[in-house]
Amino acid sequence: MRKVEAADADMVIISDSLPSGEPSISPFEATTLLAALATVTDRIGLVASASTLAHQPYNLARRFASLDIISHGRTGWNATMRQNPREAANFSRPEGFSDDDFRRRAKEFIDIVRTLWVGWEHDALLFDKASGRFHDPDKMHPMDFTGEFFSVRGPLNVARSPQDSPLLLLSDLEQADFDFASRRADVVLLNEPKPPEAKAACDKLRHRAREAGRDPLSIKMLTVADARQEPDGASLEALCLASGCDGVVLTVQPHPAAFEDFSERLLPQLKRHGLIEAHPGKTLRDRLELDKDGWP
Amino acid sequence: MTPRQMKLGLFLWATGHHIAAWRHSDAHVRAGIDIDHHVKLARTAEAAKFDMVFCEDAAGLREANVQIASQTSRSIGFEPISLLSVLAVQTERIGLVSTASTSYNEPYGLARAFASLDNLSGGRAGWNLVTSASPIEAANFGATGLRPHADRYARAREFATVITGLWNRRAAGHDGESFSVRDPLDVPPSPQGAPVMVQAGASDDGKDLAARTADVVFSAAQTFEEAKAFYDDLKGRLAAYGRQPDDVKIMPGVAPIVAATRAEAQAKYDALQELIPDEVGVALLSSYLSISDLWRYPIDGPLPELPEGEGMKSRQALVIEQARRDGLSIRQLARYFAGARGHWRLVGTASQIADELQARFEGGAADGFNVMPSWFPGELDAFATLVVPELQRRGLFRTDYEGRTLREHLGLKRPIRN
Ligand SMILES: Cc1cc2nc3c(=O)[nH]c(=O)nc-3n(C[C@H](O)[C@H](O)[C@H](O)COP(=O)(O)O)c2cc1C
Repeated sequence: MRKVEAADADMVIISDSLPSGEPSISPFEATTLLAALATVTDRIGLVASASTLAHQPYNLARRFASLDIISHGRTGWNATMRQNPREAANFSRPEGFSDDDFRRRAKEFIDIVRTLWVGWEHDALLFDKASGRFHDPDKMHPMDFTGEFFSVRGPLNVARSPQDSPLLLLSDLEQADFDFASRRADVVLLNEPKPPEAKAACDKLRHRAREAGRDPLSIKMLTVADARQEPDGASLEALCLASGCDGVVLTVQPHPAAFEDFSERLLPQLKRHGLIEAHPGKTLRDRLELDKDGWP
Repeated sequence: MTPRQMKLGLFLWATGHHIAAWRHSDAHVRAGIDIDHHVKLARTAEAAKFDMVFCEDAAGLREANVQIASQTSRSIGFEPISLLSVLAVQTERIGLVSTASTSYNEPYGLARAFASLDNLSGGRAGWNLVTSASPIEAANFGATGLRPHADRYARAREFATVITGLWNRRAAGHDGESFSVRDPLDVPPSPQGAPVMVQAGASDDGKDLAARTADVVFSAAQTFEEAKAFYDDLKGRLAAYGRQPDDVKIMPGVAPIVAATRAEAQAKYDALQELIPDEVGVALLSSYLSISDLWRYPIDGPLPELPEGEGMKSRQALVIEQARRDGLSIRQLARYFAGARGHWRLVGTASQIADELQARFEGGAADGFNVMPSWFPGELDAFATLVVPELQRRGLFRTDYEGRTLREHLGLKRPIRN
């Protein structure tokens, strides 16, 4: 991971190996691994996938808010909009969810987490030993939410995070999710196999963002490419241009050999070609040039 | 054979266990947002050869009244599994135990998180199973309020069965009252096989579940008699589950204040007591008594008659018993309780504190202690540099780790794999 950091990659996204029927290749659950990585790196952004079926919104909001404090503002949550067919069965929902229910539930879940993240104002903590006022009660906001799937009083019992709120990445979007994503996401991962399709998705998302009163460039679009395809500088550059994306997420299998090749050969090569550049910013939002608090 | 030695856990609580700890002039007031502070505390405990650090947890604020909450430091802190993941890579030997609720988690998810922590730490993880007694937490997980004590324990029993099954690689597939799980766990086992199971429930249901599943039991007791009764009761329940008395380590909480002389220690304690606002003390006491309007009663009068609550039944009983025994007013009781939430309080020199610990340990009322420094880092440093060496001189505590995993520190068997 330090090599990836040294090559000035902006972030790593740790996927969460959930039961796919095959034996696991990673001994670590994504958020626990992220915490460990946060203490042995100091610049790279750290994003973990976590599913809305495997967690409760209050618990997950605390986990990521803590991770953002631990990493000094380098954390993001990658939420998928597509359900893993086996997951519900391991989380006491043997009957599963219809795709439509899953999506409505995921959106409600994500909105709760985002609201919990900003429940404490930045300057809520006073730390005033003499007067005995630890925080300002007027700057702590419960959410008192009752929805279709969840009911959460709040506020979070973790302080406001250094980035205001950890980054929200959305992935596996369908057309039906575009409105939601264009309003909520800081980063969208586009899984479209071909550049023209990625470009269409990109344009549509930016267009919707503008309609929602948001700076369309404040959502970063990343297209996904497989590191095994031996991409070089020129092909990645062409991919970005053709797809209209802001960058590329390279997928690497968590095998030592694949990772070594990626971090010791591919990344330095991309850096030599000027495709990865160092950013002075401390937080992941700074690095990606995102607003501190980018949601309408 | 080496003589029996006591086990020591460090009970972390950002600024300290005394309710006014954060106001102490040398306390680290930003503890709840400072990860390096926690790393330092864990390393101090590791250098002193503690068996484990222990993180408490609640998925919600501690206090419903916002004015009172704002006069305490307890509304913010780290989520403990992320905190322990950091400690896993920043320490080498010490055990890492975190609380997590059976009421607001699913066994498959928690099994993965703790198995992962166990792998990250090379076999040093433990899970403190709680059933979560606070209505404030309940409101973050649905609209129906705190579920009855018996229901929470029924869910906890099933949770424990499923999670140990997942960790021990027993055949997958569970379809029960509260949970269903189809697949085996997708995280490989760690060097200690499965995380250590810790429990702290002291009601009848709680003790029974502990006797069946726990490797370590935390408890709260004031007097030797209370501690001994709890110890004998719990150990007595083990045979019914085919277990030996030594299979479970019982570790009552102890909140020491130590100094070179008793007078100096007493002065340190008195100074902390001065920092407690009355309303904060009364609010803390009421939350453990499962009563919302204790402030209505005259503060210098006796504790009123109270119905048995649905929260922490055992702690309620302990407080009521103490109030009666010592004839304490609400104010006196609240102030005493604010120091250590009903745990055993010791104020004295290192040798006086070691005497007391030795008496409970050798008297068959404890296998070790869960140490609750009044404020951090000062009282932990004092315990580590004054009391630990005294215990070591007496041969009551290790001078170096015997093994690598938490199970090895505690002298526990590896879990049985079917
Ligand atoms: C040392 C100690 C630590 C505890 N830590 C927690 C905790 O972190 N979170 C929690 O909800 N309960 C905690 N408890 C409370 C119990 O685990 C248990 O949930 C409570 O006592 C209710 O169960 P009971 O009625 O069986 O006692 C703790 C108790 C003790 C003695």
